[in-house]
Amino acid sequence: MTTTAEHEIGKARLRKEDARLITGRTRWTDNLTVPGMLHMAILRSPVAHATITRVDTSAARTSPGVLAVYAGADLADEQGSLPCAWPITPDMKAPPAPSLAVDRVNFAGEAVAVVIARTAYEAADAVNAIDVDYEDLPVVLDMRAALADGADLVHPDLGTNKSATWVFDSAAAGTGGDVEQAIADSEIVVRRTFRQQRLVPAFMEPRSILVDPTGPQLTMWSATQIPHILRLMLAMTLGVPEHKVRVIAPDVGGGFGGKLQVTPEEVITFLVARRLDRPVKYTESRSESVQAAHHGRDQIQELTLSARKDGTVTGLKVELLADMGAYLRLVTPGVPILGAFMFNAIYKFPAYHFACTNVFTNKTPTDAYRGAGRPEATFAIERMMDELAAELGVDPMEVRRRNWIRHEEFPFTTVCGLVYDSGNYEAATDKAMELFDYAGLRAEQARRREANDPVQLGLGISTFTEMCGLAPSRVLGSLSYGAGGWEHAAIRMLPTGKVEVVTGSSAHGQGHDTAWSQVVADQLGVPFEDIEIIHGDTMSSPKGMDTYGSRSLTVGAIAVVKAAGKVIDKAMPIAAHLLECSPDDLEFADGKFTVRGTESATSIQDIALAVFAAHDLPDGVEPSLDSEATYDPDNFSFPHGTHLCATEVDTETGAVRIRSYICVDDVGVVVNPLIVEGQVHGGLAQGIAQALFEEAIHDDAGTLTTATFADYLLPSAADLPSFTTDRTETPSTTNPLGVKGVGEAGTIASTPAVVNAVVDAIRHLGVNDVEMPCTPMRVWRAINGRSGDGTDNSTSAAGGGLGSISGGAQ
Amino acid sequence: MIPAAFDYVAPSTVEDAVRALAEAGEDAKVLAGGQSLLPVLRMRLAGPTVIVDLGRIAELRGVREDGDSLVIGAMTTHYDVQRDPLVTEHAALLAVTTNQVADPQVRHRGTFGGSLAHADPAGDLPAPALALDARFVIAGPNGRRTVTAADFFVDFFTTALAADEILVEVQVPKYTGWGAHYEKFNRVAQAWSIVAVAAAVRVEGGTFAEARVGLTNMAATPVRATAVEQALVGQPATAESVRAAAAHAAEGTHPTSDVNSDADFRRHLATVLTSRAVLAAAG
Amino acid sequence: MRLEHEFSVPAPPDVVWAAVIDPERVAPCMPGASLTSVDGSQFSGGVKVKLGPVTLTYKGSGEFLETDEQARRVVIKASGKDARGNGTAAATVTVTLAPEGEGTKGTVVTDLTVTGKPAQFGRGMIVEVSGKLLNTFANCLATKLDGSQSADEPAAEPAAAEAKPAAAEDEEPAPPAQPKPTRRRTSAKAAGNAVTEPTTDGATARQPEPEPAGSPRLQLVGEQESAPKAPAKQVNVSSEAEPIDLMEYAGASVAKRVVPAVLGVLAVVFVVLRLRRRRRG
Repeated sequence: MTTTAEHEIGKARLRKEDARLITGRTRWTDNLTVPGMLHMAILRSPVAHATITRVDTSAARTSPGVLAVYAGADLADEQGSLPCAWPITPDMKAPPAPSLAVDRVNFAGEAVAVVIARTAYEAADAVNAIDVDYEDLPVVLDMRAALADGADLVHPDLGTNKSATWVFDSAAAGTGGDVEQAIADSEIVVRRTFRQQRLVPAFMEPRSILVDPTGPQLTMWSATQIPHILRLMLAMTLGVPEHKVRVIAPDVGGGFGGKLQVTPEEVITFLVARRLDRPVKYTESRSESVQAAHHGRDQIQELTLSARKDGTVTGLKVELLADMGAYLRLVTPGVPILGAFMFNAIYKFPAYHFACTNVFTNKTPTDAYRGAGRPEATFAIERMMDELAAELGVDPMEVRRRNWIRHEEFPFTTVCGLVYDSGNYEAATDKAMELFDYAGLRAEQARRREANDPVQLGLGISTFTEMCGLAPSRVLGSLSYGAGGWEHAAIRMLPTGKVEVVTGSSAHGQGHDTAWSQVVADQLGVPFEDIEIIHGDTMSSPKGMDTYGSRSLTVGAIAVVKAAGKVIDKAMPIAAHLLECSPDDLEFADGKFTVRGTESATSIQDIALAVFAAHDLPDGVEPSLDSEATYDPDNFSFPHGTHLCATEVDTETGAVRIRSYICVDDVGVVVNPLIVEGQVHGGLAQGIAQALFEEAIHDDAGTLTTATFADYLLPSAADLPSFTTDRTETPSTTNPLGVKGVGEAGTIASTPAVVNAVVDAIRHLGVNDVEMPCTPMRVWRAINGRSGDGTDNSTSAAGGGLGSISGGAQ
Repeated sequence: MIPAAFDYVAPSTVEDAVRALAEAGEDAKVLAGGQSLLPVLRMRLAGPTVIVDLGRIAELRGVREDGDSLVIGAMTTHYDVQRDPLVTEHAALLAVTTNQVADPQVRHRGTFGGSLAHADPAGDLPAPALALDARFVIAGPNGRRTVTAADFFVDFFTTALAADEILVEVQVPKYTGWGAHYEKFNRVAQAWSIVAVAAAVRVEGGTFAEARVGLTNMAATPVRATAVEQALVGQPATAESVRAAAAHAAEGTHPTSDVNSDADFRRHLATVLTSRAVLAAAG
Repeated sequence: MRLEHEFSVPAPPDVVWAAVIDPERVAPCMPGASLTSVDGSQFSGGVKVKLGPVTLTYKGSGEFLETDEQARRVVIKASGKDARGNGTAAATVTVTLAPEGEGTKGTVVTDLTVTGKPAQFGRGMIVEVSGKLLNTFANCLATKLDGSQSADEPAAEPAAAEAKPAAAEDEEPAPPAQPKPTRRRTSAKAAGNAVTEPTTDGATARQPEPEPAGSPRLQLVGEQESAPKAPAKQVNVSSEAEPIDLMEYAGASVAKRVVPAVLGVLAVVFVVLRLRRRRRG
């Protein structure tokens, strides 16, 4: 009889799923083959905005191996409109969103026609034989221009390029004062405009879909983050009975929000498989993925911060333009709104105003990307705190200390009405400053400035928080989100004492199998190895809200804890019956029910077997320990941390090198330090990449010029420093495990730390901002007093202009 | 990312390869290491009817000495060039440059000759080949001919190679005892150079006796920074004199503008990087 | 993308004007390109673009939107698409001629839009391709306007480096015929020179010298519009022709002045022939 003597939670276990994943014994969707399977290829629009005047599929139809060719008109009657689940305002304008364009294309990369053939090769050949005529329409790319009077329209039927404007005002909400008054009364006002460049989620596994209509249910395998939502949306969008659809997310190779979507490709594959009554598979190429899968960020942020001379902040006004791209996808309109509650961050702003205008352009739709709204907010406020410090001539950390919520002030109700349950910004910061040698680096910076060293040193700070565990259903409801945020779990006790855990959180690389096993091992007192985690298939895990927004541990794992509690509750009377005592005399620990004060005990496994036999159960007790729970938390969780970055800026070339990066995160109780470390490292890489490397760039015809990884620059290990990571642990009080979530922290925190460091390195040369990504050319131009491209040009190049391309056109 | 159909030929001699190219006609394409061709095939930006794979021609691999020159087979991989002791001793500039081509995977698959024949203006090898006055041995239907580096690089992705010719080997004069450095400037490790500078110098008694400087991505072809070379010779190997000479680096260049840099910034980079490359080469 | 050129021709504006407005007259000069039909102010054709490993086969149509002989201004709109579905291309070209001494001065403004895969590279491939193609045409047309070459004999060597397209942002004037053009001119004969240094197997001189394989050039796409997928067996006007050494025919001084001139003509022809898209509605 084995029980877990030591607690599993907190153990740095290797991930149980990794051996299979890293040796290639995986079940990526594209690896799957079913009998009679056909292959689909998609013809995509090369133009960003045009009327489709003719689609000639005749040559493609006679191409070898081709079974069918469909253009938009062929599916128009049944494809419906792709769902948008987040109408942020009652008057939000949302255009119809066909999966396959029928008579108009609105972004380059939009699907126009499909070929279904016996092999992927034949399908690809035939796609090239489809001849489409386009009649160009004016291309709308720049958000400000799109909102001007008389602007060309992305969707003429809507009469405007503005989708919606969403406003939060602390005075109106009664959660704070009036910002205009605060600004008018202030001693210092700092105004800045930042550009959140457009990013590509760049998950490792391209999206892939296999639909088999031949079974009792129409089964879709998809590389998705959201099998449950997808099933529901297919049913609602296509009018198919929900119980006749099964969705499976097998091994999924990353998502970063990029697979939090109901995609045109999924709908099209579903429709053609159903029409042909044959299994059909579609796997996108990388350049299709980069062009057509949704993008992230893409905002213009105008901020006004007011303060007193002593550095106390008095008000914050945020005005955003958010680029929707051509359509509203699943949660597109809500992404910037998620940031609305985070601009005030860890600081005690007495007055706050937020307004976001969502704008249509002829670009790939945007939607969730790691952090979704919160990185944008964190970047802006952390940059602003540095700017305020510069304005005041004080150390940027000192300005933060003056304004942040002190640890004794928790729980703290913020200016936008959120209740931060716990945190200790002082502790995380002190630890980080020490690890970083903040004072020593400041001294070196002074020396380099003094010596006019060609390589200047900059220190960047980000004292961030985020809201995790996207759940509280009533909060989501108040934001007009189209669903709840609960999560479901079920535990099945097998006769041999082994445990099957069913979770609605569908992992796509996060390590749920390992973390959930650790949680359940502690809850039930069974060995880690005896637990199997089942997820990602609506047949075996029928209920769930899936994985995004750092919600799995804070919502999904809590549902598991609740289900485990029910198992114990059900076992208790049976144990008492077997031990011939009153349930009140029993205590449960480490998998054992013990009669208090005696040696008399039985294990959860013994009871599982007894329940299976069911020969000797108390009267009226059902022969099952299996339990399920659906958990809906009352509040978000609020991880926080202090990230410090030291950059060396080569003033002769503008090159930026990160010399050291220290982060001290407080993600509450840690279930598995290795997994947390991995999430932090990956998040840092992505956040640093936004600061320095990545940008989706369109030319003035709306073509994405960074459509391969040769031009869309993802950093590798060679481009990143060795991170120093550490933690403080302030348990969350909003859930029984005290966990907070860590999936997005690194991404949210790191971007402003890096840019603050870049600006800090060259601030003495007259620089107070460098647009992201901070390319060598932008940095060098900033130093040399020549601005690169302005923030008003959302299609500008990473290097600061397309030179002869865009420059020549103006 | 699925290429269109093509016929595949893998001859085992240069003569057979040339014959295969001639038979295949206009739309044949030579496959060396495939590091540039395969992506283009997969994106269907090329649709050759025949691929002639040089991978099985033993004659095209390896490095040997031939009098005052090194001879590097066109199909020698970057990895084999970079670790070859002859290259390190007599053509250190090639060794240090090859070591910076793309990433280790590419260096194990990609070839010396393939990279040169591809003639990407942002490719790393053309500039040092030009700087070192390499000579290109080309085989065609009428036998072999030799072309200087200056004549080999004709234009953007364009060399003196005709459609029915293949690059056999590259002859590099020996620069024994020269200092060498390749200063590559890019945004992430695996990216193409925005600008790079290949410098080889011979310093005698603290003075530049000879200097050879090639520029990557400063025009449609690699560019020899002759003004810099002339300005260096006879000058002391000091930071000041090098900086003064390097100020001429952008003369005669015609850099392009793209998403990473405009032409002006490239011209600026050329001077800074030339200074660094020469100083590093001088040790 | 906006490309701007200025040019000077030693021929009077009448002569240049006639060339500018007559696609049939200048079409043969575009190596391998074809006009499949000319109907009043409308025309159609095709062209194959080859750049290193990349090949694109555009077919398209266009029309003379404006032919103002008084103002010596012609506006041409043309568009086309790649036969393998790689994307579209469209251009509006405005050419304006003015007398300049004995000759003609012209300005060409080209608004070029290339979409799809060729445009999906951050390294500005399209700018390069466009510029190189213009160079190729320029070389031929320079010879032709000079009258020293028969109209049926197209040039193939992209030697006319003087005809550098100057993107608007790039204020550099087209460089004079040195140093690079000098080298390139040499390179036109380079192969010939090179064989005087035979390798050990004693290769013999080859006449004519091969055209560099990867040089940007244009080939005929198939006469019938309905044959877009037969690139292999097309009529190739260029590759069999003997390359022309411009300098031998025209002499350096003439070529130096003529070539940029032709560029203007070429900008027109280039888009006329290369970029075509069926316009409907």
